[in-house]
Amino acid sequence: MFDFVIRRLLALMPVLFVVLVIVFSLVRFIPGDPAVTLLGPGATESQVAALRAQLNLDAPLLQQFLEYLTGLIQGDMGRSLKSGKPVADEILARLPATLEISVFAVLIAIVVGIPIGILSATRPNSGFDHLVRVVSLVGVSIPAFLLALLLQLIFATWLGLLPVSGRMSAYLFVEPVTGFALIDAWLSGESGAIRSVLVHLVLPTSVLAAFLAATLGRFVRTTMLEVMTEDYIRTARAKGLTWSTVVYGHALRNSLLPAITVVGLKFAEMLGGAILTETIFAWPGIGRFMFEAIRNRDYPVIQGTTLVFALLFMLTSVVVDIIHAMLDPRVRGKMR
Amino acid sequence: MKLRHILANALVASCLAAGSAEAQEASTLAVAVPSDPRGLEPGTNRAWPIGSEIILNVFDTLVAWTPPEFSELEGRLAESWTISEDGMTFDFILRDGVTFHDGTPFDAASVKFSFERTMELNAYVKATLGLIESIEASSPTELTIRLSRPYPAFMSILAQPQSAIVSPAAVAEHGDDFTNNPVGTGPFKFRDYQADTRVVLDANPDYFRGAPKLSRLIYSVIPEASTRRLELENGGIDVIQQSGQLSAVPLEEMEAFAKNPDIQILESPSQIIRQLEFNNSHPDSPFNDVRVRRAVAHAIDYDGLLGGIFGGTASRVYGPLTSNSWAFNPKVTEMAPGYDPEKARALLAEAGVDPADWNLKLYGFQGSLWGALATFVHANLADVGIDVEIAQTEFPTYRALHTGGEHKIALDGRQPWYNDPDAHITIGYYSGLADSAMTFRMPEDKELDGLILSAQQESDMDKRRELYFEIQEQLVNRVPGAYLFSPKLIVFARSNVSGLVVNSAPPLNEYWSVAKN
Repeated sequence: MFDFVIRRLLALMPVLFVVLVIVFSLVRFIPGDPAVTLLGPGATESQVAALRAQLNLDAPLLQQFLEYLTGLIQGDMGRSLKSGKPVADEILARLPATLEISVFAVLIAIVVGIPIGILSATRPNSGFDHLVRVVSLVGVSIPAFLLALLLQLIFATWLGLLPVSGRMSAYLFVEPVTGFALIDAWLSGESGAIRSVLVHLVLPTSVLAAFLAATLGRFVRTTMLEVMTEDYIRTARAKGLTWSTVVYGHALRNSLLPAITVVGLKFAEMLGGAILTETIFAWPGIGRFMFEAIRNRDYPVIQGTTLVFALLFMLTSVVVDIIHAMLDPRVRGKMR
Repeated sequence: MKLRHILANALVASCLAAGSAEAQEASTLAVAVPSDPRGLEPGTNRAWPIGSEIILNVFDTLVAWTPPEFSELEGRLAESWTISEDGMTFDFILRDGVTFHDGTPFDAASVKFSFERTMELNAYVKATLGLIESIEASSPTELTIRLSRPYPAFMSILAQPQSAIVSPAAVAEHGDDFTNNPVGTGPFKFRDYQADTRVVLDANPDYFRGAPKLSRLIYSVIPEASTRRLELENGGIDVIQQSGQLSAVPLEEMEAFAKNPDIQILESPSQIIRQLEFNNSHPDSPFNDVRVRRAVAHAIDYDGLLGGIFGGTASRVYGPLTSNSWAFNPKVTEMAPGYDPEKARALLAEAGVDPADWNLKLYGFQGSLWGALATFVHANLADVGIDVEIAQTEFPTYRALHTGGEHKIALDGRQPWYNDPDAHITIGYYSGLADSAMTFRMPEDKELDGLILSAQQESDMDKRRELYFEIQEQLVNRVPGAYLFSPKLIVFARSNVSGLVVNSAPPLNEYWSVAKN
């Protein structure tokens, strides 16, 4: 098992290198000069030239790449062209926001998606099943920004129940210690801070969770229906086991395995896909950071965030493999 | 069923409780801005609007424009000043007893330190502060600045955020990290910055002009326009700044907010100009004939543009300067070509050209404002027989194409960052700078170039104004472009916000006088 994890992690290295080469060259193919973008329409040629030199953008490409790579090996991701701050610091400042929203979204998706899938599968073609199929189809296909706007309009503007955007009220001052708003709010001891953070989480996490919950619900429903027609289920029923023992003890366990894969893959996808949600809800995560960086041609930031996303994606797949191995003796056998 | 009730009640209760927590900060003002502020101190700021505004609230400059007219300078850290006959030596008497937020005293040496530091660090001020030849601090309250050549707009430059005075002690303490820990003498002290989230400024109770009325000022980063609007309607923020106006028309918000008693709309004329610009140095362009240029200028329905697309959020421009500039020549309002498609067609016929084989591309920036503008101009030109293809181009690419002179006709504009006609005229029309930025690309012309340089350097203000009058008349006669409009500066605020004055050039707000009732 330990060997397997080490081998999987080592195998990530060449993949990361390839990702790096592709990103490094691709961002430089986007037309447009970072110095021009940074200075805006009013700038003169001499101001642009001065900034280019200051940012070391006139060095040969290969030299720039080697310098970047050398830095990276030493743990230095370079400095943002826009802010001049170390990229690693900039990413670390924003990662908690993205993790916070994603983890909550996954929890919501699991809590909502899986039971709905089970209920729907155990009552095929019932009214509930039809409702779930329609709602989940909408959930899978509705664009995130549309759902976000709708929820803002209904819950914030019309009902006045929830805040529009942000991680907590703009008027609250909570000293950022960990970067996780919930923990910082708790540490601050400020009255109402935790509540403010929680209510601010509801809408953005719901938007992120909607797609995953719908996907998960549909997936669990399908696999459950398949499993329910297996011979061993018929045998179990014939043995006289209760209906609930059969569903929860036999069918569910077997249909959850593929569901874990789905959650794992979609979690990583969600991290990257959070760009729109983060923008609409003014959520200061790395998705939005990356988007801004692409617009500003902030090369080191684009490289850094891509690398982090790639790493998260690969790590999630390793974790999924490990969970699989823990749950499924057949997979465990193959790992040795 | 019961559980659902409990959950619903808990949700409602917690929301209400959160609502009251948000309302209790009556003296905290939250301002929504579209992007992360950068360049929070003079040494790193390259005229980025949000950072510039924060500088004006955390630091002080020697002088500032007096509201609400913004046509006269008043002393801030400088109590008084005299300018030598030749316009090259500036003597300042500085305010006594002012301290920086870190407790160290403000004096002439800190002014010298600030200017020298900013000149060294900030390439953006090379053409302006770079004219300083020497700075002499003869006593703590006496300072003399000498320029290498006369530059009457220099006092304007000193009102710029890049000319703000920093605490030498804080610079020594923080070094490169000073931009994350800016320390000045201004009405607000820097408290905290959180990436992509907010900048928090606390009131400076010892401010030399008196303590600000607010206890805290928060710049809250909200990138999406629709989210900013909902937040303002819900009272989640107090003020929206329209930096986004540069690429979008705030008309929809205007209409929605005008009906909302909780929201006030503050408007102020700007010195921004948007124009349909000819490449006046193109070797092979139909617009090298002044009759053709004039025809284009007559083809544009200026009032239709202001009413139809901008709904009163922009005003008419007649020449190279806006009518709120102190150097504006009222004569150009009569000289400027007005909307007259008949005359346009006649001029084209007189020039003996056939627009059918011109194959023109109308270049412009991206964004809904520029798209609407391009479509409008396209229709106007088609009406007189000129067919153009609209090419909205991503900014860096557009700039390269423009400075390379590849275009024949383009939509462009300029936002002057200091309150002086020099900010429009020299960079836009001096032939020596034609390809140094996005300009009108004027061909060399000894007379006009000479006028522009003398106007830039003349220290007698009346003579200077006369020179700019003459330049405006000459330019309007040459029709280097069709001047389309000047957008107003629009700020939306909750109606309990008072004392906010919208500054015109540069469009930055000071919050010292602002209160929340």
